[in-house]
Amino acid sequence: MNAKQKKLASRRGFMQKLLGGAAVASAAAAVPVLTTATSEVEEKQPQAKHYGMLIDTRKCIGCHSCSVACKAEFDVPLGFTRSWVEYTEKGSYPNVSRNFLPRLCNHCRHPQCVDVCPTGATYKRKQDGIVVIDTGLCIGCKYCIQACPYDARFLNPVTGFADKCDFCIHRVSKGLDPACVNSCVGGARVFGDISDPDSEISRQLATNPVTVLRPGKGTEPNVYYIAADHSSEHENKRGWYDVRVTTHRREKKRR
Amino acid sequence: MHELNWGIHVILYLFLAGLGAGAVVVSGSVLLRKGGFGSSRFAVARCGALIGPIPVMLGTFMLVFELGQPFRALNLFKVINLSPMSIGSWFLAAFIFFSLLYALTFLPPWAGPGDRLARMRRTLAWICVPSGIGVAIYTGILLGAMPARPFWNSPILAGLFLLSAVSSGVAAIMLMGAFFRRKSTDPAVRDDYHNSSYLLTATDAIILGGELVIIFLFLLFAHLTIGDVRYAVAEILPGGQLAMPFWILVVGFGVFVPFVIEIIEIRPKLLNGGVFKSRMAIEVVVPILILIGGFTLRYVVVIAGQISASAAL
Repeated sequence: MNAKQKKLASRRGFMQKLLGGAAVASAAAAVPVLTTATSEVEEKQPQAKHYGMLIDTRKCIGCHSCSVACKAEFDVPLGFTRSWVEYTEKGSYPNVSRNFLPRLCNHCRHPQCVDVCPTGATYKRKQDGIVVIDTGLCIGCKYCIQACPYDARFLNPVTGFADKCDFCIHRVSKGLDPACVNSCVGGARVFGDISDPDSEISRQLATNPVTVLRPGKGTEPNVYYIAADHSSEHENKRGWYDVRVTTHRREKKRR
Repeated sequence: MHELNWGIHVILYLFLAGLGAGAVVVSGSVLLRKGGFGSSRFAVARCGALIGPIPVMLGTFMLVFELGQPFRALNLFKVINLSPMSIGSWFLAAFIFFSLLYALTFLPPWAGPGDRLARMRRTLAWICVPSGIGVAIYTGILLGAMPARPFWNSPILAGLFLLSAVSSGVAAIMLMGAFFRRKSTDPAVRDDYHNSSYLLTATDAIILGGELVIIFLFLLFAHLTIGDVRYAVAEILPGGQLAMPFWILVVGFGVFVPFVIEIIEIRPKLLNGGVFKSRMAIEVVVPILILIGGFTLRYVVVIAGQISASAAL
């Protein structure tokens, strides 16, 4: 099972390398992957992938096509969002700006939601680092919803279980990009395997100044941003410039 | 608008479970205590044991039905992990089971100190006290475990909930004692009653004093820090949305006023070797104030935790 997945997942990279002319080297590298004969490979497999996303907010036009694609993909109930775009409006005329901040589950390295889940229904997958919810175990206690510093979770009113972004696990496992990445008109989103230094996302992470949201919470998110505006409405307390955050999640404020 | 994912069901559960667990903890500790207060101890223990399981079960039912899918709650018992809710639900299950058995040992009409159930009663008390403390304290740990909720994310919250639970338990025992008091002209019976009342009042005064200290420390350290916690605690400081219920119902009438009344009541016997006479008005009013304070404390904490958030993104 694992070997088969591995084989499927590595096919694209394998072909590219072959076409790139490094045939001998890549063949040597690919042989153990394809055969999975040695125990060394078995040990390496759990660490094989770590999915992440990089969002270049300079390319985001705030069109919500990611939110819409996500809602269509998962039939997310009315009024709830797994993926959403926040608008941050700052300043007063003529010194003003509006910045877009696409949001989704951060698939953290230290997910608080996983720590607090009493039934083990939510967990971080070892093979690719995606944080998922097992609806067979979820009891709908909402503890994970409280614990998420990003407010990425909600109680699905149709199923009664906790729900959130799962990096489109059904698409990703077939080698496709997540729906939000696929639909992004500005090409602002890059999805891929962060643990592979040759992946597009790794290259962009290495060559750009990037930030994550709420780094102080120690969650170590796997969703990175380029040029994200981290302003929050708390800054209004200082009274120097106005900040207004619109979450586009019904009346919900950013938490 | 901030979303309140945990509402009145959870608040009531926190209050009722604390009250019931507190009553059984007091009952068990009083029963296991050696020396002093004669047979009045048994009356207190009996009262606490009989009250205890009822609110705990009531609160648990509310919590389970709040899920919308009550039988899903059984999934909690498929695993044990380090989630405070998982550990808490095991404690809760054990507590409900053993506290019911403990209550049953007090039910026979011939139940009294040194009867044939005495040994079993003591054994059950040894189980009920720690599991009751577990039930009372885990709720505070449960809320405190989340850095995402700066108001709750304090180790002292668990201590506050524990003291508040025990104090609510004492209040419930006092109230029931006053309610079911049998008028008697026999001086021995009356002395017993005053003795048990003194035991409860003195215990409660110490616990309420402790609560005041913990509330002071909670506010002090929240104020001494900067950032998220300080913003969050502003909700209950003067000018905050929950300042009124917190300062008037919790700190004022819920803790401070009962504390002062109880200290005045017990002072003659405690310091000057005088006589303690329980008064009906105080036996009814003080527990009611404490219970209102205990409920409002859970209300303020649960709501404040959800309407406050981290400042920086």
